[in-house]
Amino acid sequence: MNVLALPVLLPLFGGSVLLMVRRSAARRWLATAVSTATLAATIVVAAHVFRGEILVLQMGSWAAPFGISLVADALAGLLLLASNVVALLTVVFAGSSLQHAPVRGDSPLLNRARDAFGAQALLQFLFMGVNMSFLTGDLFNLFVAFEVMLLASYGLLLLGGELPQLREGFKYVVINLVASSVFVITAGMVYGLVGSLNMADIAERLQAHGGDVRVTVLAALLALVFATKAAVFPLGFWLPNSYPVPPAAVSAFFAAVLTKVGVYALLRTFTLMVPAEHALGGLLFVLAGVTMLAGGLGMVARRRWRHAMAFANVASVGYLVAGAFIGTHAGTTAAVYYLLNSIAVVFVLFLVAALAERVAGPAYRRHGHLGLYPWLGAGYFTAVLALAGLPPTGGFIGKFALVRSMLAAGGGVHVAVATAAVLAGLLLLYAATRIWREFFWGEADAVHRVAIPKAMSGVTAVAVALLLSLAVFAGPLYGLSGTVAGQLDGNAAYLAAVLVPGAPPRTGAH
Amino acid sequence: MELLLPLLAALLIGAGVFLVLSRALIRLILGVSFISYGVNIGILLAGEGERRDAPPLLQLAGPYNDPLPQALILTAIVISFATTALLLVLALRAYQVTGTDHVQELADRPDPVRGPVVYADPEVPSVSPEIGTAADVDQEGPR
Repeated sequence: MNVLALPVLLPLFGGSVLLMVRRSAARRWLATAVSTATLAATIVVAAHVFRGEILVLQMGSWAAPFGISLVADALAGLLLLASNVVALLTVVFAGSSLQHAPVRGDSPLLNRARDAFGAQALLQFLFMGVNMSFLTGDLFNLFVAFEVMLLASYGLLLLGGELPQLREGFKYVVINLVASSVFVITAGMVYGLVGSLNMADIAERLQAHGGDVRVTVLAALLALVFATKAAVFPLGFWLPNSYPVPPAAVSAFFAAVLTKVGVYALLRTFTLMVPAEHALGGLLFVLAGVTMLAGGLGMVARRRWRHAMAFANVASVGYLVAGAFIGTHAGTTAAVYYLLNSIAVVFVLFLVAALAERVAGPAYRRHGHLGLYPWLGAGYFTAVLALAGLPPTGGFIGKFALVRSMLAAGGGVHVAVATAAVLAGLLLLYAATRIWREFFWGEADAVHRVAIPKAMSGVTAVAVALLLSLAVFAGPLYGLSGTVAGQLDGNAAYLAAVLVPGAPPRTGAH
Repeated sequence: MELLLPLLAALLIGAGVFLVLSRALIRLILGVSFISYGVNIGILLAGEGERRDAPPLLQLAGPYNDPLPQALILTAIVISFATTALLLVLALRAYQVTGTDHVQELADRPDPVRGPVVYADPEVPSVSPEIGTAADVDQEGPR
C-alpha cells in the first residue's frame, strides 16, 4: 500500500516548499492545503485499518528484516487520524494567530518574525516526524522519526529567542538529547543481541530469549526513553515549564499529540516487542498512578493558564499509561478510547487558554470574563467536564471504563491506582473550577472587549464539537477501541503481516 | 582490544554525564557531545562481537564485520552534529540575552515584562516557582 508513505512525504514536501514561499498569506493557504491533503491520506489509511487489516509497505521492496517497513495497524491508524485532525486545526489556528498578532503577551513584531523564519514549515516537519513515528515498523527508524519530530519542536520552541524560551528550551533540548542517546544505544544493543532492527523481527527473535535478563534490561531502557517522552511521573519534570513557552497553537499541538507519541511507543514496545515483561509493565502502571496525582496537584498549584493546562496534560498521560498497563483486554480498550478523549480535551484546553491569554494575559486571576466572552466560557466548561470525567462527556465514559477495568483486574495495586485515578479526577475538577471562578466569574476587571479572530474561535468551536462527538458517537468509537485493543492483545497478526514467509533467511544470525 | 572499546565507551559516557551535570552551558554542551561519542562506540561494538558470514550483496570470502552498525553510527553522527550546532547557537544566544552562561543565573533571571500591558499580577511572581529545581532544595535545605 503506497498510500502509507503519503502521511510522511506530504508534510516533508509541503514543509520544504513552505520554506521557499515568500508571501505570508500564500504560506498560510499552502500549509492548510498540505495538511488537508495529509489528513485525506490518513483517512484512506484509517478506512482500511479500521476494518481489521494491517497495511504494510516495504520501502524499496526490500523484504521485512532487511528494509524498513512502514506498518499501519488499527492503533497506528487511529492515532494518525486523530493527530492529523489536530494538525490541520493547529495549522489554521497558527496561521490566524500569526496573522492577528496578540494584543497582549507576545509583541506583534516577534510573531511576524516567527512566521517569516519558517514556523509554518517547522510545523509541517513536526507533523512528518509524528506521522513517521506512528507508521514505522523499525526501531532505528523510530529513533530517526523521534529526532525529526524533536528537531522541529526545538525550532518551534526556540524561534523568537526570548529569555523564557532560551531557559526552558535549553532544558528541553538537553533532556531530549540525553533521552535520544539512551534510545540510540539501546537500539544498538538490541541489534547486538538479536541481530535485527525490524520490530516484528525483534519480537519473533526475542521469543527465543524467554527469561533472559538482558531482554529485561533492554526493555527497561526503552521504557525509560519512552516514559521520558510521555512525561510519566519522575521523568516528566521537564514538561510543565517548557510546553507553555512556544506560541499558543504550537503548544496546543505539543500537548495534544507529542506526549501521546511517547505513550504510543510504550504501547508498541510492550505489546509487540517484549510482551512478556510484566514486572516492568507493573512498575509503569504504579508510576502512572503517581503521574495522575502529580498532574492534579500541579494544576492546583499553577497560576497561569498554559502552565496549569500543561499539568492537566500530565494527568491525562497518567490515565493513559495506567490503562495501557492494566494488562486486560477491557483495560486496553478503555485506554484507547480515553486516548481519543485525552487528545481532544487537552487540545481544547490549550486553545481556550490561548484565547484567554490573548484577551487577558497569562495569569488567570482576572475576574468577570463570562459576560464578555460567553462562548469561551462554554468551551472551557465543556472541556472541564471532559477533563474531570463528568457526564455527559467522553471523559466520563473513558474514566469510568478505566476505573472499572482496574477494579475488575483485582489486586491491591490495581485498587490503589484506581483510587488515585478518582482522587486525581477530583483534584483536576477542583483546579479547573478555581480557574472558572477566578477568570469567568465575579465583577468584570476587563475594561474593553478584545476581538478574537474568527479563524481562532472557529477552530476552537470545531475542537469542542469533536470533543462532544466523542460522547455522541461513543458506541461506534468504543467498538473501534475494542478492535484496536484486540490487535494489541497478541502480536501474531502483526508479525504475520510484516514478516513475509517467502523472505530468504538471514545469514549468520543466531 | 576486546576490553578497550567498551572501557572507552564507558569513559566517554561517564565524562559526558559528569559534564552534563555541571552548571556552565558550554560544559553541558561538551557533555552531550561526549555522550553521543560514547554511544557511537557502543553501537560499533554491537556489530563487532559477531562475525557475519557475508554482507548481503557481496560474494567475496569472509569473515566480515557487520556493516549495519556503521550505517547506524553515520546517521547518529549526522543527527548529533546538527543538535550540537543548535545547542551552541542556543548557548550563544542565551549568553547574548543574559550575559551569563551559568545555568542557575539563567534560571533566576525574571521573565521580561514588555508591551503596554503589565501582566505580572502582584500576587503572581513573574517567575512561577518551579517544581523540583535546585532553587527549591536550596530553600528547604537538605533533608
